[in-house]
Amino acid sequence: MKVSHAWLKKFVDVRLKPAELSERLNMLGLEVESFEDQAATFDKFVVGEVLQRDKHPNADRLSVCSVNTGKETRTIVCGAPNVAAGQKVAVALVGATIPHDQHDADGKPFVLGRAKIRGVESDGMICSAHELGLGEDKDGILVLDPKLRPGTPLAKALGSTDVVYEIGITPNRADCLSHIGVAREIAALTERKLTIPPVRVMESSTAASRAATVRIRDRENCPRYCARVIRNVRIAPSPKWMQDQLTAVGIRPINNVVDITNYVLMETGHPLHAFDYDRLAGHTIEVRGAKEGEVFVTLDGKQRPLSAGMLMICDAERPIAVAGVMGGANSEIADTTTSVLLESAYFNPSGIRRTSKMLGLSTEASYRFERGADIEMARYAADLAAQLMHELAEGEVLKGIIDVYPKKRRPVEVKARVQRINDVIGTALTRAQIVRLLQRLGLTVRPGRGNDLHVRIPSYRNDLLEEIDLIEEVARLYGYNRIETRTKAAIDFSAGIRTDRLEDALKSHLVGTGFHEMLTLSLQQESLAQMSGTPGVKVLNPVSAEMTTLRPSLVPGAVEAVRFNQNHGSRDLRLFEIGRVFSPVKGKNPDTLEGFTEEERLLLLITGVSAPLGPGSGTRKADLLDLKGEVEALLGKFGLDKIRLIQYDTPESLTEPTVGVEINGTYAGFFGKVRKEIAATFDVGEPVFVCELKTDILGKNWNRERRFVGLPRFPSVTRDLAFTVDAAVLQGRVEEAIRGAGTSLLTALTLFDVYSGQQAGTGKKSLAYALEFRAADHTLTDAEADAVMQRIIEAVRRECGGTLRG
Amino acid sequence: MSDSTEQIRQEFLHDLDAARDLPQLEQVRITYLSRSGRIAVLFDGIRSASPADRPVLGKALNELRTFAQAHFDERKAALEAAAGSSEPAFDPTLPGRPRWVGSRHPVTQTLDEIKRIFVGMGFSVENGPEIESDYYNFGALNFPPDHPARDMQDTFFISKDILLRTHTSPVQIRVMEKQRPPIRAIMPGKAYRNEAVSARSLVQFHQVEGLYIDRHVTFSELKGTLVSFAHQFYGERLKYRFRPSFFPFTEPSAEMDISCYLCGGNGCRVCKYSGWLEILGAGMVHPHVLKNGGIDPEEYTGYAFGMGIERTALLRYGIDDIRMFYESDVRFLRQF
Repeated sequence: MKVSHAWLKKFVDVRLKPAELSERLNMLGLEVESFEDQAATFDKFVVGEVLQRDKHPNADRLSVCSVNTGKETRTIVCGAPNVAAGQKVAVALVGATIPHDQHDADGKPFVLGRAKIRGVESDGMICSAHELGLGEDKDGILVLDPKLRPGTPLAKALGSTDVVYEIGITPNRADCLSHIGVAREIAALTERKLTIPPVRVMESSTAASRAATVRIRDRENCPRYCARVIRNVRIAPSPKWMQDQLTAVGIRPINNVVDITNYVLMETGHPLHAFDYDRLAGHTIEVRGAKEGEVFVTLDGKQRPLSAGMLMICDAERPIAVAGVMGGANSEIADTTTSVLLESAYFNPSGIRRTSKMLGLSTEASYRFERGADIEMARYAADLAAQLMHELAEGEVLKGIIDVYPKKRRPVEVKARVQRINDVIGTALTRAQIVRLLQRLGLTVRPGRGNDLHVRIPSYRNDLLEEIDLIEEVARLYGYNRIETRTKAAIDFSAGIRTDRLEDALKSHLVGTGFHEMLTLSLQQESLAQMSGTPGVKVLNPVSAEMTTLRPSLVPGAVEAVRFNQNHGSRDLRLFEIGRVFSPVKGKNPDTLEGFTEEERLLLLITGVSAPLGPGSGTRKADLLDLKGEVEALLGKFGLDKIRLIQYDTPESLTEPTVGVEINGTYAGFFGKVRKEIAATFDVGEPVFVCELKTDILGKNWNRERRFVGLPRFPSVTRDLAFTVDAAVLQGRVEEAIRGAGTSLLTALTLFDVYSGQQAGTGKKSLAYALEFRAADHTLTDAEADAVMQRIIEAVRRECGGTLRG
Repeated sequence: MSDSTEQIRQEFLHDLDAARDLPQLEQVRITYLSRSGRIAVLFDGIRSASPADRPVLGKALNELRTFAQAHFDERKAALEAAAGSSEPAFDPTLPGRPRWVGSRHPVTQTLDEIKRIFVGMGFSVENGPEIESDYYNFGALNFPPDHPARDMQDTFFISKDILLRTHTSPVQIRVMEKQRPPIRAIMPGKAYRNEAVSARSLVQFHQVEGLYIDRHVTFSELKGTLVSFAHQFYGERLKYRFRPSFFPFTEPSAEMDISCYLCGGNGCRVCKYSGWLEILGAGMVHPHVLKNGGIDPEEYTGYAFGMGIERTALLRYGIDDIRMFYESDVRFLRQF
């Protein structure tokens, strides 16, 4: 909200400089986001008098002027055709920042320097309205009021001496959405008096109550409705001072009557509405709910479908305004209006919010009503506006105010305990100190039993409902930064300190093996979510078509990351992500949490070359065995040895081949090569290998216990063996045969070569193993090793048809 | 016979001289000096010689063998020395054989550091779901229905009552429900807001929530904890301040600023020329929230705080576009 310094001074004697006031308001919880000092904008600008105009000796279109700027006479070169001796003009002195550069396409500001123009030194610049940021006129200089004295600061001459603050008001502080409200905070802060000038309305003798009738049909949503009738108004532009004040706080002037309602709104925070009295059927106001299906044209010209539950202001026949939100086109103030019915009502916040949400329409009025206006301000605001209509629009204010207020607001009193206040804040404030702080905020404090305080809450502070609210007020006004920063905290260790170690350990391992961690978006295109065959969870109000569905798998997002990287020239990737996936639960109510599941997964991805390019690295492309190696290393690291890998290709799977991973008999995820068709939808041609594992299964089976196993005491014997088998024989079967025949003497088996080239023979492949033999209790002899080797060769021949390769 | 000895001697010397490198020299050894080499064969001939000739022959052969071995060793040493000096000198400017080097995401690294600090101060790490109910995300946290405070957080809805959590604060309630005070926990995780995507805002982000509930917990202690955190995370010499603010689930509520560490508090683009950076929101747990978590607010008080991780990481690393965190660009990732 924009707040004017000059306006605030109407209510409180503000002596702080803008920068300091901003700082102090910040520390009180009114966040001053910025402030604009109009005078600072025109620093180094003064009023000048053109004493003489001569033609420039070297340029036809330029003139050389001597200008009196108060203390001295300056020579200024000017290009404007309208410059003439005797004029009072706006002069920028050297060092001034010109708001708009006329010669720059974007009109950026620039700092004026001393310049020689076609051989004549110019000591300043005579400005156009456009250059000053005061209008669009670029063709000539701005000619000022001839009565101004040369040397007067330009800001003063233009009446632009105000400071405008941009303040962020939190939703609980509706009372601060006005100049009076902010002034009240300043008064509390600086311990000065807040003065709200009383209004005396000049009324005629005709009674308003005979000119109009007000009926409230819905007292729940409209507890109070005040109306005044003003006749014989003359619609015209409002005076300059009012237009300036409204413009300063960001409101566009329209005409005197409308401007007055806006002015009172910005001053008091109370929204008003002015109806054209003569267009109200029966000169009657009726506050009632809308009829379902009715269509209403608001004064912005838009057709609004109404629904039951919206509160409307109606005349005897039809709706004339959406209560507290916006008036109707059918009763708005026009140039022909002569009589005004002025509404100053109070509407229930939640009703206004519902209506505003349903219509998708938020206004200055609805913004305040839904945060909570001050019901007791209604009458003052109406009187102030009526009096201004008398003063500024020649209106005749009818006698009396129609004030329908069936159930008066009961005074609110909140109990606060001195001890409790100190207990929550951590202070040792005395009762007297607390009382004084509360009083500065305009609260009335009455002593209660013991150290209790009974605090009377004014009608404008609808956020103060219970003790904790008062505790905050005490802390806020006392000053958060005066409260001791205590660093001695009691810690109870009995429950232990739990941390997410699995995630951390997984990340450490993967980073150590050369993977970059990535984070992808949980919300993705529906087409991506559908790739995994499991439905994702759709959001009702997506921000764009790219983000409609919560991912049921990490894989499509990862392939998308491959696409992004390939488009940016990175083709060799090793990536991982730990994140949640989501899916609906069949048969469960989607309006409850049982309707959905989410679980954490780990994704690994490899694509491109198998080793980073370097001397002698070769350029072998990574393949599924590279990924499988990473998966095995990971599972091994976490002591997960009861692993079963099952190849199970189905048409729906994201990968082909797909290898399922079972840990201790539980499905834990899969790995494989991303299906060509899927990769192709991302324009990815390179093979991409992925693995997706459920981290909870990894966690449950994570064997964190380590027992030391004694190192072998006797040396081992190492022998290499190579077999030729049919190409169709799985390596696993050969390995199984070797292990079976090797008995406990075989302590290690490493497959170090697989060859299926010509030399192996057609339809054959060769598998080469390094075998390590060791006996636990003696040094193995060559004869023993030879014997077990024979058994192995025999077993492989028998079980797999393998022959020993020479 | 002695001719034959002499002939072998000559041929050996010739071959030895002809051997230009170690493999060729090895061939010479095999030909002459191995167990089945030509000299060994001559020794086999001793048995067929007359007994009278045997001592002479034996002596001659022994001499030959000693002679050959000595010459061979000499030649071998020479060739080895030559081979050693002919190996190219090590070029220290050659690149080492490259390895894959991985990295934790900058958001993770920031989160890790925050976790490390709070775990060190006795906080546990807790988790909660990202798909939440209106009750946990709003109702239990003292957001009244139809209240403008709900507009502070634009929400993605999944159904009428189910939504994507807009903050990690619902985990506060979940922790209170399953644990009695004292509660001392941080709750990191993802949150979602329905906002237009820009360099400063993305629909998803990470937060860390903190909660401490016990007897006699005060605002003063909240300050102490957060100041300690800020000193550990941002540096010992920073200045700090607490400003009143508003969150429905805490009261009194505060925002904490630290002196801008980029400009030292003098004002720069990053701190919008204020000299201050807002780093977190905090406050005393609202009595309604304690009650909703099944805790008696008369017996216990507590504080809570929360901070955005991406924002923290942007400042920490000098990144100017939040979207980079989620593009998975390895040129970005490998910088951390």
